[in-house]
Amino acid sequence: MIGELSYLIFFLIFVSIFAIAVLGLNLQWGFTGQFNAGVVGFFAVGAYAMAILTGPTQPRLPDQAFQVSGIGLPFALGLLGAIGVSAAIAYVIGLVTVRLRHDYLAITTFGIAIVIHLVTINFESLTAGTLGFVGIPRPLASTFATPFAHNVAYLAMMFAITGAVFWGLERIVRSPWGRVLKAVREDDVAAIAVGKNADRYRLEAFVIGCALMGLAGALYAAYIGSISPFDFLPIMTFQIWTMMIVGGSGNNRGALLGALVVWGLWTSSGALVSQVVPAKFQAQGGAIQVILIGLVLVGTLLFRPRGLIGEEPKVSRYVD
Amino acid sequence: MKFVFRAFTLTALLLLALPMAANAQQTCPIKLGGILPITGSLASIGKPISDAAQMAVDDINKAGGIKGCQVEFILRDDQTQTPVALDAAKFLIEVQRVPAIIGPVPSAAAIPMASTFAVQSKVVLSTCCATSPTLTTLAQEGKSGGYFFRTLPTTKTQAYSLARIAIEAGYRRTSVVWANNDNGRFTFSDFQKAFEKLGGKVAADASFNENQPSYRAEVQKALGGNPDSVLFIAFPQDGATVVREWLQLGGTQNMLVINGLRSEEFIKAVGPRFLQKMIGYDVAQVKGPSVDAFNAAWNTKFGRAPATPGLHSTYDSVMVVALAMQLAKEVNGTEIRDNMRKALTLNGEVVFPGSDGFKKASDLIKAGKAIRYVGATGPLQYDQYGDVSAPTMQWKIDADGKIVEGGTRTLDQVQELFKQVDG
Repeated sequence: MIGELSYLIFFLIFVSIFAIAVLGLNLQWGFTGQFNAGVVGFFAVGAYAMAILTGPTQPRLPDQAFQVSGIGLPFALGLLGAIGVSAAIAYVIGLVTVRLRHDYLAITTFGIAIVIHLVTINFESLTAGTLGFVGIPRPLASTFATPFAHNVAYLAMMFAITGAVFWGLERIVRSPWGRVLKAVREDDVAAIAVGKNADRYRLEAFVIGCALMGLAGALYAAYIGSISPFDFLPIMTFQIWTMMIVGGSGNNRGALLGALVVWGLWTSSGALVSQVVPAKFQAQGGAIQVILIGLVLVGTLLFRPRGLIGEEPKVSRYVD
Repeated sequence: MKFVFRAFTLTALLLLALPMAANAQQTCPIKLGGILPITGSLASIGKPISDAAQMAVDDINKAGGIKGCQVEFILRDDQTQTPVALDAAKFLIEVQRVPAIIGPVPSAAAIPMASTFAVQSKVVLSTCCATSPTLTTLAQEGKSGGYFFRTLPTTKTQAYSLARIAIEAGYRRTSVVWANNDNGRFTFSDFQKAFEKLGGKVAADASFNENQPSYRAEVQKALGGNPDSVLFIAFPQDGATVVREWLQLGGTQNMLVINGLRSEEFIKAVGPRFLQKMIGYDVAQVKGPSVDAFNAAWNTKFGRAPATPGLHSTYDSVMVVALAMQLAKEVNGTEIRDNMRKALTLNGEVVFPGSDGFKKASDLIKAGKAIRYVGATGPLQYDQYGDVSAPTMQWKIDADGKIVEGGTRTLDQVQELFKQVDG
C-alpha cells in the first residue's frame, strides 16, 4: 500500500507543477485571449534560473571560457529569482509582441520558445548545454530521512504554493482589473473606447502568466534535481494547453481539474496499455496510448467544447 | 469545488485500483520493467529496441524462465519525454515493484532516474543506449549507488579511438563538425583532448543543431581553419546533408566518421565515390559467433536484418539482468546489482544469446559453475561504474559502396590508449 501511496504522491506533485503553469496560461488565454504557444520556453527559463541560482558548479569543458554556476543561493531565493527572470524576459517579449493578435502571437511565441531551447542547448557557460545541469539541490530532501517523507513534504509545499497561486488569481480576475481583461478578450476596441489601455492590460496578464510558468519550471527543477534541454520539448506546450482546454478555459478551477485529468490520463493510459495489451504487441502498444489520449481530447472538444467546467457567466460576486 | 473534489477522488481511486489487480502475487511471474521510447522523436530506433527487449524475454521464457518462473516484461512507452519516463519509472518501481528496469534511452531521462529513483528504491537500471559520461561521474561520486549499468560504451571510447585513427592516417590538423547533443558534445571535447595529446591539433570546430535543412554556415566555419582532414559526428540524415555541403564547398575528402554514420542511408545519400578516403569507427564487438547467432535469430523472427542502432546492446541489457536474477539468491534490486558482473565471469563457461544459451546458462548455474555470457554485442565486461568498454575497429567503403571492416584494436589496446591520453 505504501508503494501505491508513494506513487500517488509523486503523481500529485507533477499535477501541481503542471497546474501552476496551466493557471498561468489560463490567465493569458482564458481571461485575456492571448495565444501563447511558447509555454514550454518560460517553463524552461524558470527551471534553468532555479538550477543556475541554487545549483552546484558544473564541470567546465576544456574549450569553455567560463561557467556561471555554483552561486548556491537558498531555495527560496531561487524561487523568487526564477519568477523574476521569467517575468523580466516575458516583459521584454511582451513589449515587442503586445500588439500582435491570435495566430500572429502564437507563431511569435512559438518561435521564442524555440529560441529559448536553442539558448539552453548552446549557451553552455550558462546552462551546461546538452550535458544537462545536474545536482540541483532538492529542497527538503536532506531534512527528511526517507524519500517518502521528502515526497510528502514536497507535496505539502506544492499544495501550499498552488493554493496560494489559485487564491491570488481568483482574487485578481474577480477584481475590476480582471473584468477589464475579459473586456479586452471579448472586444478590445470597445475596451479602448471606454478608456482602458488594452495593451497595458495585455502586457500585465502576459507577464504574470509567464512568471507562473517560470515558477512551475523552477519547482520541477528543484524536485527532479537535474535538467536538460531535452526535458523541455514543444509537446509540453501542447500538454499544458490540453489541460486548460479540457478543464475549461476561463475558469481557474478548470485549470486545476484539467491538470489532474489530463496528466492522469496521459500516465494511466500508459499503465493501462502495458497491462492490457498482450506481450507480443507491447512494442506497438505505445501507439494505442497516443490514440487513447487523442480520442479523449477530440471527445472533450466535441461533447464539452467549453471544457469540463467552463467559464462562469458571472463576472462579479456583486452581480446577481 | 464539489465537482473538482469528486473528480479528484475518482481519479485517485482509479489509479490505486488499476495496479492492485496485477499486484497480488509476489513470486511468480518475475517482473521486469522496461521504459523505452516507442513513440516520439526516438520512435524510429525505440520500436526495434523494444522488439529486441521482448525477444530476449521470449528467449528466457522459452528456456524455462528464471527460478522456474516465467518473466513478465512490463514495457512502458516514455514517448521520448522525460516527465513521462519519470512517471513510468515511479509507477513500475512503487506500484508494480519491479526489481530492474530496462532503459531509458536518452541520457536526459537516465540521469535523474539513476541519481534518485534507482538508488532510493534499490532498483537496477540497465540501459542499452544512454551514453553520457555524466552517468559515469554520478557513479564515481556514488550518487547512483552502483545500480546503473549500460551495454553501450561511453563516448570516450569512440572519441579516443578516432583521435588515434586520425594520427595513424597522418592527419595533424583536423576540423570537427559535430551535432549538438550530449553524444556529439562529449565526443568532440574528448576527441580534442586526445588528439592534442597525441600530437594533432583541432583546426576548427563547428557544432550544429539537428534537423536543419542546411549547414552551410557551420561547414564554412569548419573550413576556415585550413584543415587537412575532417571529423563528422552526426546521425545519418543530418550527416548526409552536412557531408554533401562540405564536399560542395571544396572540403577535403580525408574524412573520419563515427559509428552513427555506418549506415547505407548515409552512404547512398552522399555517393560512394566521394567516400573512398573516408575512415569510419565502430565498436568491434559487432562480429563473432555469438553475434551471428543473434543476427540469424532476429532475421528469422522479423524477416529483416538487425540494422538499427541499439538492438544488440538492448538484447544484452536484458540478458545480463536475467542471468543476474538467475544467479541471485533472491530476486531483488540489490541482489541483481551484485550479480550482474558474475554473469560475465572472465574464466567462466561461455554461453551465447538465444533460448538454448539461456538454458545452458541456467543449468550451469544450477550446477554451481561460473558462467561467462558472450552476448549479441560480443564479449562484454562492466567496469566498477557500470560502464562497458569494448574493442574497436575501423571500416572503409569500397568502390561499390560496400562496407569493409578492418583495423581492430583489442580491449587491451583500447585501455592502453586511455592510459596514454588520461595519464
